[in-house]
Amino acid sequence: MIEFTKFRLDNGLRVLVHEDRSTPLVAMNILYDVGSRDEDPQSTGLAHLFEHLMFSGTPRIPEYDKHLELAGGENNAFTNSDITNYYISIPAQNIETGFWLESDRMQSIDFSERNLEVQKKVVTEEYNQRYLNQPYGDAMLLLRPLAYTMHPYKWPVIGSDIAHIEKTTINEIKRFFFSHYAPNNAILSVTGNISTDKVFKLAEKWFGSVKKRQLKQRDLPVEPLQIHKRILQVEREVPSSAIYMAWHMCRRNDPDFMTLDLITDLLSEGESGRLYTKLIKKEKLFSEISAYLTSDIDPGLIILHGKLMNGIAPEHAGERINEVINELTNKYAPASEIEKVKNKFEASAAIGNLNILNKAFNLAYFELLGNPGLVNKQVELYRKTNRDSVIEISQKYFRESNCSTIYYKSSGRNRQ
Amino acid sequence: MNRKDLKGPVIKQASPGIIPEARCIKLKNNIPIFIIEAGSEKVIRLEFIFDAGHLREDKPLVASVTNLMLTEGSAYHSSSFINKTLDWHGAFYNQYTERDRAGFTICFLERHFEKLVKLSREILLNPAFPEKELSILLKKRYQHFLINREKVQNLALEKFFNSIFGNHPYGIMIRPEDFRNIKTDDLKDFHSKYYVPCNMAILVTGSIPEAMIDLLESSFGDLPVSVVPQKINKSPRSRSRKYISIVKKNAIQAAVVIGSPTINKCHADYPGLKILNAILGGYFGSRLMKNIREEKGYTYGITSSVTSLKMSGYKIISAEVNKKYAQATIDEIFKEIRTLQKKPVGKEELKIVKNYMLGEMVRMFDGMFALAYSFRSVWDFDLDNSYFYRFTEKIKSIKAEEIISLADTYYNIDDLYVITAG
Repeated sequence: MIEFTKFRLDNGLRVLVHEDRSTPLVAMNILYDVGSRDEDPQSTGLAHLFEHLMFSGTPRIPEYDKHLELAGGENNAFTNSDITNYYISIPAQNIETGFWLESDRMQSIDFSERNLEVQKKVVTEEYNQRYLNQPYGDAMLLLRPLAYTMHPYKWPVIGSDIAHIEKTTINEIKRFFFSHYAPNNAILSVTGNISTDKVFKLAEKWFGSVKKRQLKQRDLPVEPLQIHKRILQVEREVPSSAIYMAWHMCRRNDPDFMTLDLITDLLSEGESGRLYTKLIKKEKLFSEISAYLTSDIDPGLIILHGKLMNGIAPEHAGERINEVINELTNKYAPASEIEKVKNKFEASAAIGNLNILNKAFNLAYFELLGNPGLVNKQVELYRKTNRDSVIEISQKYFRESNCSTIYYKSSGRNRQ
Repeated sequence: MNRKDLKGPVIKQASPGIIPEARCIKLKNNIPIFIIEAGSEKVIRLEFIFDAGHLREDKPLVASVTNLMLTEGSAYHSSSFINKTLDWHGAFYNQYTERDRAGFTICFLERHFEKLVKLSREILLNPAFPEKELSILLKKRYQHFLINREKVQNLALEKFFNSIFGNHPYGIMIRPEDFRNIKTDDLKDFHSKYYVPCNMAILVTGSIPEAMIDLLESSFGDLPVSVVPQKINKSPRSRSRKYISIVKKNAIQAAVVIGSPTINKCHADYPGLKILNAILGGYFGSRLMKNIREEKGYTYGITSSVTSLKMSGYKIISAEVNKKYAQATIDEIFKEIRTLQKKPVGKEELKIVKNYMLGEMVRMFDGMFALAYSFRSVWDFDLDNSYFYRFTEKIKSIKAEEIISLADTYYNIDDLYVITAG
């Protein structure tokens, strides 16, 4: 149970606090309601590049990290399609340093050409390290533009083309900051060894003077209903072939979400998951396989991918996957199996609540979704799933015409 | 309030304070159970630790495959039953094989402890090693091995460990034929020697009911006392060749790995070496991060670390860099090391690294997972919490001159191995 209090500053900043006296630390999370979906199709990757620049200093505090390290703190950040999220873990006695640093960079950052040039290089190397220089690394870069035709989810968070990063100008960076980074577009959550009262006072003291800003209105194109299956075939120098599949799903706030999440658990959670037991253990087609939701705020994707054993054709593997899925849509799942994935979800929620950073993020995220109280209702809501809803929801989304598939074929040049 | 009047808040140096001690119960067959109460949720983390790491191997893969096969079928139940039961009870588990030790960690909600303690016992002590499951597991692992060989980072790391530890189990390089040479009998033999009461310990952290301790005592205390496996005596020996470049065509980045064997936790200089390492490349504000990433943009990340092993230890600097700048990166790494040997660390920088590390010391004991990890990090070396207190004191007291002398002693450029892949 995450007990919390919420309030809002005059400038629109929302603040949520949860006291947890079992730790000497405080976690501070700032979520900005901006992600790669808010980018211009011609300058993708900007939100993530910007996240890097948030650490490059401000007119008043040239070195963000130095001060946080002096205070014994640790921090990081991530960008996804929907949000940019910054977080700090710091010994309780120095929490005010966190407020000082975060409010300062919400006010403004150093729009320096030099920092921009260096971070462009760093992000290019990140692109190389994560995607281009890894076996199968480009698969997810290919899957999004296959599954989406209109919605900005069609480009990856890192950017659809490294050239977009390279040509980013300081003026674009400025515009991006002032139209998205603002107290009225952020959620601050603080958890750990601190009183609610103290957080409110510190929030007022440090963030109170940051002015509300005119935000860029979000008006995103709606992805049209997919009516034909899509297939892409590529050949790469990898040891064995792989398959990547994606089905369009509902919005994050849709009641179907939880059942769908449990359906992917039925498919691939643990070594008792259906895909694992049938396609790895019994039929020996795959060396690894998994299914999950992208969990985006706008309609996201159900993703299923697996790496094949040598010599197995991805087309054949795809047929077998479809048969496993068909069983979900036309046969009741045994009660014990549904109970199993619910139990697993409950355990993961409890384990997640052991970590103050995790609790801070969840509070901020559920606030963004519209109701922070739901953070404590998840287990109960997931438990509502039953065998009928599993069939109904599986049928609704796992339609062949709703599916995009990549046959990622090994060129055979570096097989053993 | 005028923002310009606001100064940065006053900072108070962090300190770990009193570190929770583990309570120890010794079973009559000598199995120790260590207990650390922690956590605000009804969650338990249970770890079974065996002196059964790679160090015990006569043949590559035997230690890790034995460990992975534990959940693949027991004398009483099939692999599928075991996996279903673990998942049904919401258990998150991990089978691990390290250089020195191997084990099984399982994390679950308190209400499931009875079933899961009993199942753990069965998994650990009565595995059946079915041929059918072994063949699937080996095929799977072989595929992972092939994929890993396509990663420059893995290629460089594997060559690095083989260079600094030679043919010793610490430095073994897996070959394709190793996957064919593993037989069920190897696993049964390994298991019967090393997965025995005199070679194991149990670590429990979280919200722990007394009844669970009783159950652990009754489930594991009745095992017959076993023979203590002999201590391993063969020390690793480094190879003489220090510079190796592995060519991987079409690679976009090169992996750079630089390091050498070094002292471990049992040596008095170790805490000082850890501080030196932090300055060099052990945190975001380190010199290597600042120079190679934040000034030059050659890489997404570069890190330096020092690791203890029972029979050795090693320091390692590693990064994946733009291929064009591989040599420049190596030159800069050497330059930074030489600077540490010549020029005293500035006052401000020393204060930053001290305060940061003291903050890390607080995080190391925050919550059941951190506590379990920290416990093992000293227990593995027959040390106790006094190590952490010594370390804390060293962080607070170390001076710039001592850092120069440590850099001189432990970062001799001529001792360093330089491996690149790309």
